[in-house]
This record gives sequence, structure tokens and C-alpha cells, in this order.
Amino acid sequence: MLKADKTVIKETKYIAVCILILSALMQAVFLILSRWDYRVLLGNLLTGSAMIINFFFMGLAVQKAVMLDEKDARKTMQNSQTLRMLFVTVVVIIGVTVPYFSVISVIIPLFFPRIGIMFRPLWKDKEKPGQEV
Amino acid sequence: MEIAVGIILGCCALGAGICMGIGAIGPGIGEGNAVSKACEAIGRQPESKGDVTSTMIMGCAIAETTGIYSLVIAILLIFVAPSTFVGLLKSLL
Repeated sequence: MLKADKTVIKETKYIAVCILILSALMQAVFLILSRWDYRVLLGNLLTGSAMIINFFFMGLAVQKAVMLDEKDARKTMQNSQTLRMLFVTVVVIIGVTVPYFSVISVIIPLFFPRIGIMFRPLWKDKEKPGQEV
Repeated sequence: MEIAVGIILGCCALGAGICMGIGAIGPGIGEGNAVSKACEAIGRQPESKGDVTSTMIMGCAIAETTGIYSLVIAILLIFVAPSTFVGLLKSLL
């Protein structure tokens, strides 16, 4: 079993915090629009946690790939991407088909990591030079 | 009417398949190329491994978003579009 690097843990923590903040924001919007019920919360939990797991495994795959030679690194990333995409597809299909999850709240958290990365430069500017791992 | 519904369902399924197939190829190739170049960079400058890994993780996450967009479109084509189009067809006839 590959041990997670400090960089991977740090980036996963950042994405997890972003997903938590954006999920809270989404729940608040649903509450304000009077559309909130338990299905919205369950859908958000399902996809939000799946995206954090997906990001963590992507970090592990990158960590493993950078230690290999070019050809093997490419294969490792492509295999990892296929498996992770399959995992996300299964999660989304479960979220859309099972009536205990709200479809909108299942689909919206899929974009939270991208939104988190969009705000990443703002966060990185505050870090002191040389503070990175 | 049955033929039209069949065509709608078939087109939605075909569209979802094409969308997912093409949409998932791009990120796979892109991530593979990016990581192979990162390996080169780390080979040249081993001391920058942390920075390169951090940038790589973020880059891969961005590349993967394209695949997730196509997944969402495919899911909508399979689960939402058929009922919408069949409803539209029934209202027109």
C-alpha cells in the first residue's frame, strides 16, 4: 500500500475544505429557495464525499506516477483515470436513480473541485515563499 | 408514434455513448502526457519534486473536469432528455 505524501494530503485537505464550504453554501441556497429536504443533504453528501475520494486517489496516482519512468507513468495515470471515472459514473448513476437523493444536489457537487481550484491562486498568494512542501 | 419514441430513445443513448466515449479519452491522454513531462522535469531537477507534484495534482484535476462535464451531459441524455423529448412529441401530436 502506497503511503500518501505530504503534498497529496495538503492538496486533498484544501479540496475537502473547498467542497465543505461550497456544500454549505449550496444547502443555504436550497434553504433560502424553500427547496430543502433530506434528499438534498444526502445527494450532496454522496457526491461531495465521492469527489474528495476521487481527488485523493488522483493525488496517489500522481505520486506513484512521478516515481516511474515516462512510459509507465503515462500508463499508470491513464489506468487510474479510467477507474476513477468509472467510480464517479457509478456514484452519479446511484444518485440519479435512487429516489433518496435529489438529482440536482447530486450533479452540482461534481463541479466543486474545479471551483476550488479556480480560487487556488488567491490562496497560494498568501503563502510565504518557500513554505510549500 | 412508437417509431418516433424509439428513434428518440436510440438517439439519446447514442448521444450519451458518444459523449462519454470522446469526453473520457481527452482527459486520459492529457493526464498521461502531463505526468510523463512531470517525470522528465523531476528527473532534471529532483529538488523540485514537491512543487511539481502539487502543480501536477491541480493540473490533473482541471483536465479531469472535462470528463466530468461529459459525464453530466451523458447522464442528462439518458435520464432526463428522453422523457422531455417524448413529452414534447406527445404535446405536438
